[in-house]
Amino acid sequence: MTTMATPTQSAPDEQVSHYNPKSESAGAKRAKSTLFHIVALGLTAVVLYPGLWMIASSFKPNSEIGGSNTSLWSNNFSFDNFVTAMEGIGGVSTLQFFTNSLILAIGAVVGTILSASVSAYAFARIKFPGRSIFFGMMIATLLLPFHVVIIPQYIVFQQLGLVDTYVPLLIGKFLAADAFFVFLMVQFMRNLPAELDEAARIDGAGHVRIFTSIMLPLMKPALISTSIFSFIWSWNDFLGPLLYLNTPEKYPLPLALRLFVDQTQSSDYGAMIAMSVLALLPVLIFFLVFQRYIVEGVSTQGLKG
Amino acid sequence: MINRRHFLTTVAVGTASAAALAACGTGSSTSAGETGTAEKPVTINYTWWGNDDRAERTRKAIALFESKNPDIKVNGNFTDFPSYWQKRATEAAGGGLPDVMQWDLSYLRDYGQRNQLLDLGTVKINTDAFEKSLLPSGQIKGKTYGIPTSTNAFAVYYDPAKLASLGVAEPTGNWTYKDFNAFLTEVGTKSGGALFGSTDYTGVWWMFNIWLRQNNIEAFTEDGKLGFSKDDLKKWWNTTAGLRGTPAIISEERVTQLKPKSPLGSNVTVSEVTWDNFMAGYLGDSGAKELKLVPVPSDDPDNLGLFLKPSMLMVASAKTKYKDAAARFIDFMVNDPEVGQIFKTSRGVPASKTQRDGTTFEGTDKLVVDYEKSIEKYLKDAPEPPIVGFGTLEASFNRIASELNYGKVDINGAADAWFKEAEDLIKQNA
Repeated sequence: MTTMATPTQSAPDEQVSHYNPKSESAGAKRAKSTLFHIVALGLTAVVLYPGLWMIASSFKPNSEIGGSNTSLWSNNFSFDNFVTAMEGIGGVSTLQFFTNSLILAIGAVVGTILSASVSAYAFARIKFPGRSIFFGMMIATLLLPFHVVIIPQYIVFQQLGLVDTYVPLLIGKFLAADAFFVFLMVQFMRNLPAELDEAARIDGAGHVRIFTSIMLPLMKPALISTSIFSFIWSWNDFLGPLLYLNTPEKYPLPLALRLFVDQTQSSDYGAMIAMSVLALLPVLIFFLVFQRYIVEGVSTQGLKG
Repeated sequence: MINRRHFLTTVAVGTASAAALAACGTGSSTSAGETGTAEKPVTINYTWWGNDDRAERTRKAIALFESKNPDIKVNGNFTDFPSYWQKRATEAAGGGLPDVMQWDLSYLRDYGQRNQLLDLGTVKINTDAFEKSLLPSGQIKGKTYGIPTSTNAFAVYYDPAKLASLGVAEPTGNWTYKDFNAFLTEVGTKSGGALFGSTDYTGVWWMFNIWLRQNNIEAFTEDGKLGFSKDDLKKWWNTTAGLRGTPAIISEERVTQLKPKSPLGSNVTVSEVTWDNFMAGYLGDSGAKELKLVPVPSDDPDNLGLFLKPSMLMVASAKTKYKDAAARFIDFMVNDPEVGQIFKTSRGVPASKTQRDGTTFEGTDKLVVDYEKSIEKYLKDAPEPPIVGFGTLEASFNRIASELNYGKVDINGAADAWFKEAEDLIKQNA
């Protein structure tokens, strides 16, 4: 940087006789800090631009979105898109789509928390024959792409008559089929000192008691990270609901969003973007409320004190 | 605690019995299927693609059908077009296709040949009010798999307001390719490059198909081979050779930047060669007050190569338990005048004369219907259902034509590349 090399006015007691990169003057520091902030703000603007574009477009008329219109500003800002978005689609109100998404997301969170924590406890704390094989098999399911099992899974649920219910979408969550979360919790539990279990066992506690009174309270950060991720993943899931739900009254938001855009007929980009903004709000709120726990969950992989 | 070995056995047995159940379900019967009564109606599933507007219209049509047929209940559901085919593919593999479906011509042969669709010739659907030239497009090897709901035809769209502001005369539709190119060049020159004439129309598969018909060449032979030669394709791509890179046609780079909107919908071009039922989409995207339609150019004024294509069809699942109910619903959707009144031209122009005559068309709808009436005397037989893999062929045609537009390949190289891909694909699916 050129500012470092040039001599600058400084307090008389600071003898700047030759260039020394370690002792910069206050002016150079300020310049450096200003530069850093300009670059950081510039990058933030680039990263935030799509979000800004979305919010701005949600207030624009359809003909001014996309295509050759690149400006964020419009002289025709209005709430019309939000009105259209809230009217619903084909006789199903938008509120219904929100409710469905919420049911699925909360179901996913509850199911994952209950099943993954219990399974993780078994893997981390109970010695049973074939434990490492089963653990390996569970990890192997992580490597199996979802698309490979779509059709066999569909056939099973179809024959069981469970298509067009929420069962296919939620049952896996209640049976700890999300190996990622089980793995996350197993790793977390392995870092908890085994002495705690032993002490509890000496006091006469069984597995149930150890799990509920000792493990669960200590696992709070892992449980919260799991909740956040399973909420967001379920909220954004498109393919699962697409395949298993038939009745529009049961559709969650991601399916409803696509219905405003139809390349074969006409597309209401404005309404779709307005609904996207609305659909983002719950995830954003959920994230803001629990955000600090994510950091905590990562930094306390183990036990404090 | 559950014994794990026992658990695994249970799962294995469960899966095997599910497979056995699946095997039992495939028995075919030729009866009319189960029928219902007003007290105990049967329920059929109907699925379609489309936006909220179509959902609303279809809901009305279903309500009307149910009030006229108290012994049948229709369970409607819908998704957008790309997801629609993803879902159908999974359902077909799982044996759970809905009873009645809205269908697209390019998927008809694929599902028809795999015996997923019901032969509608075996059930009672009235097709007396249909043009005889249109029905073969829903038939494969003598079996009727789809009944067209509505038709579309190829046309040149133009924006009269933009032409007026540039001082360019509106086209009459009675023109040769030379006239058309001159028109595009005039727009590009007079606007100083601010507006383009159109997209490179030689990159549109259906326009090529029409040009072949104008020259009495078939795109595909009856046994599913290519009906034209490499030289035909080179000649076609040469039609706009002098226009590429000039303001007469928009560059492929610009087209990509404008996506998902079309250049005409983005107010960057003044004309576009495509199907006449896209009117509502273009008007909505561009905010233009009015767009007009004229026939495609042809060097032979008596042979425009035009035809009516089913813009969508109605099909039934081969495994439906309610053949009779499904047939009655399809008959209602394609023939009933009140259904026409509900959909207007949002599915395309109604294919059945009964339905078309029973519908009053106004504004934009009237424009599209009038256009199809005006080209009536030039119409030839509709093409039969495209060959399996047609979607891939069309996509590679578009891709290679856009590489040509970019200047990445010359015409000879482009024609070689496409022929190689096409021949490989046809061999694979033979």
